[in-house]
Amino acid sequence: MNLDELFLAPGRPGGDDEGNVVALVRQFTEKEILGKRLDYLNDYPRLFQDRLQKLAHDIGLQRLAMTEEDGGFGWCLPEHAGGVLEVLTEVGRADASAGVLFSMNYALPFSATLDRDQAAPFLSDRLALTSVILPGPGFAGEISPLFHGRSVLARVRRTDAGAVLNGRTMRPLAGGFMADQYAAVCTDDDGRTCLALVPGSAKGIVKGPALLTTGLNACTNCDITFENVQIHAGNVFSTPGIAEALSSWLSLFLGGVSLGAGLNLFEILSTWCETRVIKGSGLLKENPLCAAVLADVAEELAVTKLLLGNLADILSSAGGRQDTARMFAYAGMIGARVQQSVMKAINRGLELMGSAGYAKEWHAEKHWRDVKTIQSLLCGMGAEAPTKMDTARFFFACSQI
Amino acid sequence: MELFDDFSRPLEYISPLDKHFRHVLRKTLEREVISVRRRFDEDWKDHHLIEPAFDRLMGELGLQKALFPQEYGGWGLARSDYFFRIGYMLCEEMGRADTGMAVALAVTFWPLLVILLEPYENERLIREFAPMFCNTRKAVFAANAMTEPQGGSDIENMGLLKGRTIQTTARLDGDEWVINGHKLWPTNSGGVSKLFGVPCTTKPGSTDTLDFAFIYVPAHLKGVTQGNPYEKAGMAADKNGDIWFDEVRVPSWYRAHGPGRDAEAFYQLISIGQVMSVAFMTGAMLNLYERLFEFVSTRTYGNRPLKENDAVAGIIGRIAGDIDICRILGHEAAMIGDRRNKPFGRSIISEDVVGKIRNIKDFVSDRTVEVFGKAMDVLGHYGADRDWDIEKHWRDVKIIQLWMGGKQLCQMEAARYYFNCETL
Repeated sequence: MNLDELFLAPGRPGGDDEGNVVALVRQFTEKEILGKRLDYLNDYPRLFQDRLQKLAHDIGLQRLAMTEEDGGFGWCLPEHAGGVLEVLTEVGRADASAGVLFSMNYALPFSATLDRDQAAPFLSDRLALTSVILPGPGFAGEISPLFHGRSVLARVRRTDAGAVLNGRTMRPLAGGFMADQYAAVCTDDDGRTCLALVPGSAKGIVKGPALLTTGLNACTNCDITFENVQIHAGNVFSTPGIAEALSSWLSLFLGGVSLGAGLNLFEILSTWCETRVIKGSGLLKENPLCAAVLADVAEELAVTKLLLGNLADILSSAGGRQDTARMFAYAGMIGARVQQSVMKAINRGLELMGSAGYAKEWHAEKHWRDVKTIQSLLCGMGAEAPTKMDTARFFFACSQI
Repeated sequence: MELFDDFSRPLEYISPLDKHFRHVLRKTLEREVISVRRRFDEDWKDHHLIEPAFDRLMGELGLQKALFPQEYGGWGLARSDYFFRIGYMLCEEMGRADTGMAVALAVTFWPLLVILLEPYENERLIREFAPMFCNTRKAVFAANAMTEPQGGSDIENMGLLKGRTIQTTARLDGDEWVINGHKLWPTNSGGVSKLFGVPCTTKPGSTDTLDFAFIYVPAHLKGVTQGNPYEKAGMAADKNGDIWFDEVRVPSWYRAHGPGRDAEAFYQLISIGQVMSVAFMTGAMLNLYERLFEFVSTRTYGNRPLKENDAVAGIIGRIAGDIDICRILGHEAAMIGDRRNKPFGRSIISEDVVGKIRNIKDFVSDRTVEVFGKAMDVLGHYGADRDWDIEKHWRDVKIIQLWMGGKQLCQMEAARYYFNCETL
């Protein structure tokens, strides 16, 4: 099955280098993860770590978004958005957890220019994981600084020695329990939104217990509290629009991860409906009602791929960090839509597979849990309401919402 | 609204037993199940936590004997005019706590209903099996071994296929039935059940319901092999696995009723199963409302409680509205069942009752899956967090939408009735 021929992407002049990397990732994941699904499932914690290490270092994905001067692939510029998207789609097709971890790593250099020290963890032989803390729900009875209505729970205070960070019971997107560093959206003394890069080993970081979650089970998460955490002044990025940019790139990249999971569900479903019969004889896929469901699955995934390809182009041509309002509106809008579409595709697929879709053996249910987790994380809180407000602000210049 | 109990249900439908039974049951479930359910997922294989909870409910409280006649030590509920409505209440309360436990209990009743529900009572078999469930304080399970590998839920499509696709065979040899076949996915398989109800055919390929047989098979008999339970996305309290019957011999009178009546009595299970499925889902949604209420009251957007934001209120208002409507529909479905023996009622194996109840189940399933998905998004960063319980229900209720032929069979049964389709 050639997924590239079935699911078309908008025309994008990707260079040979991008194509080679994408092909390499696909080759690796097909051989080492997709081709060994049952082993992978049965020994998941160990094999996940092993495959993640290999993707990060043998294939080189950890260095993908680092500059060439620092020894990376140089894919940290907006023009490489499409290439990164394709890589993450391939990773997500194999395991969304790995895709989410790489997405958070990549969103950081796409949003902020890292100096050599900040880039160093990604260029080492150790696995380096960034856990992103975005604004989210606040606590009733407390007044928080707001980022487009969402509460910013971390605050940074500049000092002579650098900066001090405080924030209580924040929920990272994923991987908070295992992170090597945190990229936390915070506010400074002047109430400006900024981004703080916090080494995971810094004193004053208090981790809550590891959380049990619906999906992304390899990205162990926990609540994080910063108690007077001291960081270098250079680790606070105050560029206007930086939080919008981070959020936008995450919308694109996590969309790619979910698309990958959806495409693998499509492959699983295709295999399944070639062997199942209905009403005692005919192949399931030849039944008109079932065929209509299959069409829904394909349609949602095809539209998702087109939308994400276009979003990558929009983010590239928007000049990346220069046009954050438009980026934020489009990325939020399309990001939410593609998660809905992939969830619909997977839900419809499970409807046909019935109990086989629900059993771990077929792996469909893992994609279902993982993508739902990504979708909820991207909502932040309030389902689609906050993103709708962002959209209304951009298109209708609403100023009071 | 003061309490989740205020979600609508037609009060004139409610059984006199409802208030007190519900109170006792809810207290027991909160103590024995809700307090520990967040650890059920890791307990899916061993049931170290789940089994004691079943013992409290089914054995000590006595739920497993509820349907048996009083003269055999039961509560006699299968003979009640309120059978469907009491069942609905029971399944709703169980579903609020854990839909996996709810289905394991309800499916224990399921094969027994083939011989317990008037006009298809079989006194001899009731006398045979009642002690197994009524004379113990330990949980005892039964299973309805229907689904077969080759055709998924085709067997539940009795309206069209009339048992044609069944490959599990029953052969009469003297005064014994000899059973051969392979079933998969029954609730309470995976080593749990002591008794199976097995739909089989006496003539493979036949479309004559006279050749359909429903035969009871005790799990300990020679030739019965059960596989290990499957690992699933949710429903940890409900074990599912493969069952093989290899030349299994049972007394000839273990057949429920005989040619023709077996198919009728079995077909009742479709409507009963659909009504109770709706009850599981409305129960889970009541719990969703409780947890969601807490979240949207204590977490903020724009420094105001989420529920006070107009856009969020639009979403949670729709969620609550859907729960309300689904609960009304569920009680209506139960009432359709309880009208079966009334002059103005219809048999639960009639095409219109099957079609209407399938339709309600399909509608409520879709709303439930959507409501839970939306609620997880309202929780956002916390939506996938087990501590908020909603994600567990989200995983659990999906299989309710899929089982018993799933959405597509519901649609076909509804079309068959509403549009007089003849070939679907």
